[in-house]
Amino acid sequence: MARHVVAKLADFPPGTRRFIELENLSIGVFNIHGKFYALRNSCPHQSAPLCRGWVCGTLVATQAYEYVYAREDEIIKCPWHGWEFEIATGRSVFNPHKVRVKTYEVAVEPEEEDPSIPTFPVTVEDEFVVVYA
Amino acid sequence: MEESYPIIDCDIHQFLPNKEALYPYLSRARQEDMNQYGLRMPGNGGYLNGGDRGYRIDSWPDDGGRPCSTLEMLQTKHLDLYNIEYGLLLGQDLRGIPNMFDADFAADLSAAYNNWMIEHWLEHDDRLKGAAFVPTQNTALAVKEIERVGSHPDIVAVAGINGVQFPYGKRFYDPIFAACEAYELPFVIHTGGEGTFGQPTPVGYPTYYVEIRQARQMGYMAHLASMIFEGLFVRFPKLQVVFVEGGYIWLAPYLWKLDSDWRGLRRHTPWVELPPSEYILQHVKFTSQPIETSEKPRQLSTILEWAHAERTLLFASDYPHWDFDSPINALPHMPEQMMRNVLSDTARELFNLPRRIEVEPVKAAD
Repeated sequence: MARHVVAKLADFPPGTRRFIELENLSIGVFNIHGKFYALRNSCPHQSAPLCRGWVCGTLVATQAYEYVYAREDEIIKCPWHGWEFEIATGRSVFNPHKVRVKTYEVAVEPEEEDPSIPTFPVTVEDEFVVVYA
Repeated sequence: MEESYPIIDCDIHQFLPNKEALYPYLSRARQEDMNQYGLRMPGNGGYLNGGDRGYRIDSWPDDGGRPCSTLEMLQTKHLDLYNIEYGLLLGQDLRGIPNMFDADFAADLSAAYNNWMIEHWLEHDDRLKGAAFVPTQNTALAVKEIERVGSHPDIVAVAGINGVQFPYGKRFYDPIFAACEAYELPFVIHTGGEGTFGQPTPVGYPTYYVEIRQARQMGYMAHLASMIFEGLFVRFPKLQVVFVEGGYIWLAPYLWKLDSDWRGLRRHTPWVELPPSEYILQHVKFTSQPIETSEKPRQLSTILEWAHAERTLLFASDYPHWDFDSPINALPHMPEQMMRNVLSDTARELFNLPRRIEVEPVKAAD
């Protein structure tokens, strides 16, 4: 698992998303209300760029014809066929145990020091959003 | 898909950038009416749709334009990406033409649309071919339009729609099919219009969009039975028909049912000398999108074999609609020759297209 710097924290405000392109792997990184999430940018259905879809909630029925709008901003809807996935876990709404998209660990960390360069104690001014993939 | 093959996409929907794009091809009188009332396409019953307003969320351009409304959009987002050998344009904004109650306006819009498609799309990219819209609600006007554009080298089909006044085997439509046969143009029927001229299902109006999608094959089954038992293919032995976007996996059991019923009821329509399935195999194709999925992949492969997919199935993506099928990820496993036929060989022959791609296309990155 390698560490990939996505962006400076200050450049990655809530409500925005970033993409990192690794060899044969595209990952979407989301800042949703200040929390970060990373998902594989490929829908398990037909490999659509899932993370280009809408961040939204979903409708949960209590009985036929009755429902509530729930899980606001916890769901991503695939830009092609509309399959819904929970952003935090990658589990699909319609079949959470079998149909899933891979998630990745995201962290907010200070810039990693390069051990080959002699350093002096400094104040950390910039934090970075990083993904482990 | 392990291997890669040439791809002919038999269902692409290109948009008008705006209604004024048709004005160079319409009279001043029509323009003034359209300034006030727009295209006047029949309504869709108010059903919701999928994706973003019915289209792939990622097909809407950032500049506020409409999906697939410029040649460049279609080229970069679809044709180039999947190395499409040919794409058949089936229009978008004017697909309700056959459902309009004013046949003269439908005829004028057909001619305007066909001219616009030829001048702005077909003549600018060798990969693009078009289906001519015609006002099928008035066969004389429809034939006139086929005679006007039917010889254009890039017009390779005549477009029809599912929801019409009569099932297509009825003699009402004979002049249109005679013209299709004379110009060697397959009649390509797209879903749509169900409910305009009558109830969209035999049991009335469904409530939800997901239900109305299930009505497509009901219409197609009715048209097919009509075509076969009214002897359409006996009367027009060179006619070819394509059913677009109405599902496919229902075909195999339907072929069996048609043949089973025909054996005992043959004397009602004695001109139907061959088993009904034989007319379908010889005259009818279906497009793949939206391809159904099965519980186990092998089941779908089996049903493709039962439906003679190597003869009856054409690949279609339906770009840029929300239920787009990826040319490289949607189709189930099938034997190599069947896959070649589905992806391009059958369509190339049906539309009489010269082979453009010898090299194997590259697999697009996901």
